[in-house]
Amino acid sequence: MSIANLLNGVAFGALLLILSSGLALIYGLRGVINFSHGALYMLGAYVAYQSVGALGFWGALVVAPLVVAVAGVALELGVFRPLEHRSHVEVGLVTFGLAMIIERVIVLIWGEDTLPVEGPGGLAGTVSVFGSGYPAYRLFIIATAAVMAVGLFVWLQRSRTGLHIRATSQDPEMAEILGVNVSRLSLLVMAVGGALAGVAGALAAPYFSVQPSMGQAILIPVLIVVVVGGVGSVGGAMTAALVLGIGQTLGNVWAPSVTVLLPYVLVIGVLLWRPTGIAGKRVV
Amino acid sequence: MTTFSPPTEADQDPVPSGRPGARRGPRVSRRAWRAAAVVAVFVIGLGLPVVVSNPYYLGIATDGAVLGILALSIGFLASRCGLISLGHTTFFGLAAYTFAISTTNWGWAPLVAALFAVLVGSAVGALVGAAIVRTPGIGFLVLTLAIGQAFYQLSVQTALRPLTGTYDGIPIIYADGQTMLGRDQADMGDASQFWPIAWTVLIGFVVVVTLVTRSRFGRTIEAVRENEERARFSGLNTFTPRLLAFMLSATGASVAGVLFALKANYVSPNVFSFVTAGDSVIAALVGGWTTAVGPVIGAVLYVFGQSELGATGNLQLFTGIALVVTIAFLRTGIVGALTSLWSLARRVLLTRRTR
Amino acid sequence: MNQAVLSADEVGVSYGGLRAVDGVSLTVAGGELHGVIGPNGAGKSTFMDALSGRCKLSAGSVSLGGEDVTGRSVQWRRRNGMSRSFQRTSVFPGLTVRDQLEFVADLTHETELDLVIEALGLGDFLDVTCSSISYGDQRSVDIAMALIGRPTVVLLDEPGAGLTKEESARMLDHIRGLCREREVAAVLVEHDVEGVFRVCDTITVLDRGVVIASGLPADVRADPQVISAYLGSEA
Repeated sequence: MSIANLLNGVAFGALLLILSSGLALIYGLRGVINFSHGALYMLGAYVAYQSVGALGFWGALVVAPLVVAVAGVALELGVFRPLEHRSHVEVGLVTFGLAMIIERVIVLIWGEDTLPVEGPGGLAGTVSVFGSGYPAYRLFIIATAAVMAVGLFVWLQRSRTGLHIRATSQDPEMAEILGVNVSRLSLLVMAVGGALAGVAGALAAPYFSVQPSMGQAILIPVLIVVVVGGVGSVGGAMTAALVLGIGQTLGNVWAPSVTVLLPYVLVIGVLLWRPTGIAGKRVV
Repeated sequence: MTTFSPPTEADQDPVPSGRPGARRGPRVSRRAWRAAAVVAVFVIGLGLPVVVSNPYYLGIATDGAVLGILALSIGFLASRCGLISLGHTTFFGLAAYTFAISTTNWGWAPLVAALFAVLVGSAVGALVGAAIVRTPGIGFLVLTLAIGQAFYQLSVQTALRPLTGTYDGIPIIYADGQTMLGRDQADMGDASQFWPIAWTVLIGFVVVVTLVTRSRFGRTIEAVRENEERARFSGLNTFTPRLLAFMLSATGASVAGVLFALKANYVSPNVFSFVTAGDSVIAALVGGWTTAVGPVIGAVLYVFGQSELGATGNLQLFTGIALVVTIAFLRTGIVGALTSLWSLARRVLLTRRTR
Repeated sequence: MNQAVLSADEVGVSYGGLRAVDGVSLTVAGGELHGVIGPNGAGKSTFMDALSGRCKLSAGSVSLGGEDVTGRSVQWRRRNGMSRSFQRTSVFPGLTVRDQLEFVADLTHETELDLVIEALGLGDFLDVTCSSISYGDQRSVDIAMALIGRPTVVLLDEPGAGLTKEESARMLDHIRGLCREREVAAVLVEHDVEGVFRVCDTITVLDRGVVIASGLPADVRADPQVISAYLGSEA
């Protein structure tokens, strides 16, 4: 096992962490699993690809989350709100359908090819880590995820809005009675969740490249992480993301056939043994 | 948001008339009429190749029938039990692969292999069902998804190449001279030859599902779906009925898997894919899973769409749109929408006549 | 009066550190209507949950006809004579009234379903789906399902909830009538204190999870602790 392998695992886990935090927020607040989260991630990556030319990587890193945040808001206004009185399963299925639509429209616009995206020039080299060289860009991903994680945590734990979000996730009716504007909160959470997906997509673009299958490919790992981490538990999702990222990447080196089943075994085990996930309340 | 309670027959018919078959009156003759109708439909259907000689459309009908069995299995579970499974590909694929492996790798007679494959699929269905039927709502959905995709991963693992052929799959080869129901291997791939088999099994499964739904057992699982806790408080052990319903559903999916392998003479990991899992649920839902016929219609439409749009790659787009539109507006699916239109038309015509 | 059909012996239910029910005992004989009242949060519904097996006991035991049933599942209890109705109406919304009553009748081997239907006045809407009838009627269906199958013990959790004073009074009278007729032991949790005093044979008063008074209505009514519990909580 080399440092590089371990760090690759952390990098993948970091991306997963950013993406799953958004999904966990949405799941916690609305109780719905947003199956289109992978498609939003994909949208972020493709928007990043499109903007890199004109705005450079850093510009793309700003534009992508903005665009996907808007998409998140559209999702809230166009889907979650009108279908508020339907069951969680039905709304989940609608997002499932939306994922298919969004992903196909993206391919119709940008084509079937894998699109390369260049990372920022300043981070193109390697950095010496414990004696061996490791791509600086991947360290940047890890660093970004760490900053986001801390920022998200502080926001949720310390700010008033964060408190409202946590309260509403626990008991939406009570929160509303106590004066929380749940609609406005949902809008905010969808925007933030979308932005996080956009950041993940933009960061992933130079690392994993931009291709039509990326939405579907990331969806199942993200779902697994959120479910295992616990309903709406952002901290749980973050932890699960790192564990999965590291575990899977390392395992792939040692025993690929077994490792590939790991996430599935994990989610099945957790759901059967503890339907609330490791840190959360109820899955339903 | 409320717990999932799928639209039932009561939602379709604005005048609630209780469970079909529970009407008082001359029950015998009504049942006899219905049985006669089923036989008639069956016999007429058998003659499809005579009327439709175009192999393209015949192929769609045949593939639609096979997928229809899978869709109906899913639809039955969803509408009667309130359990939506994104993992029925598990049994579909497992049965298909079992058939392929036992004929091609082990040289078994196709009929024996087919029965064995259904058995394997059903047995796994029992095991999976026992483990997961107690998990409610979204948890069940994610569990079925995880299990199905785990099997997909197994089917593409290089370590299992000798058994599964990984991404290349298994071209099915019967042992020398073997036939299946009087047809040799080449015939099976011919839609006009395969059609009677597919049609017979489809009608058989539709009849079974309908009978089960209208039986006392059907009412029991409906009660469990409507209010599981109350059912327990009424003295029912709710685990067993759900498990049995799940097993019936898994068996249906296994039968569909075997038929699929039989016709295609080839299995690949696609039978386990995420796309197949999702699309089969969508077909059932869009067709209208409160009836037995709805999922079959949805399946035929899907197969048709697949043939027409496959090359353009836009199938996914239209499937997604169909799903969203159905859940948002046509809650009882195409069949439900048509039924409502029909009732509406009938009422309009009747009021006109009485004026 | 007959022998005790239902008895609770020092029943306790705890959630984490909170003792929702603590050391509650009572006995109910066949044909006896036993009311359980108390201010909000007294633990009445939790006590019902404990009796019916919906929640686990952390202390004490529940006996049915002399047999300890503390570990038994809710299905088992129902099949062996203990039924309950729910505070929040719990019916099968998509089934017709007839279908759900027949469903329960099948499970409990009830042969005279029509009597229950008549007693609760459900004859008018048997073939209508439960979600289309009024809340009050749904309540009646809920209670009917608890009365089917000749249970020996019926636990009724706020049968009058959500009904008007008149409907509630009528409901309680129905229940008393049916219990006397069929010699069923009944435990009745209610907020309508006047109604309880009117129809019940014995009464237990809970406050903050413990019994503060128990006995005949007249005695309980005059008990100073009961008066202060109710007046105290209203203050």
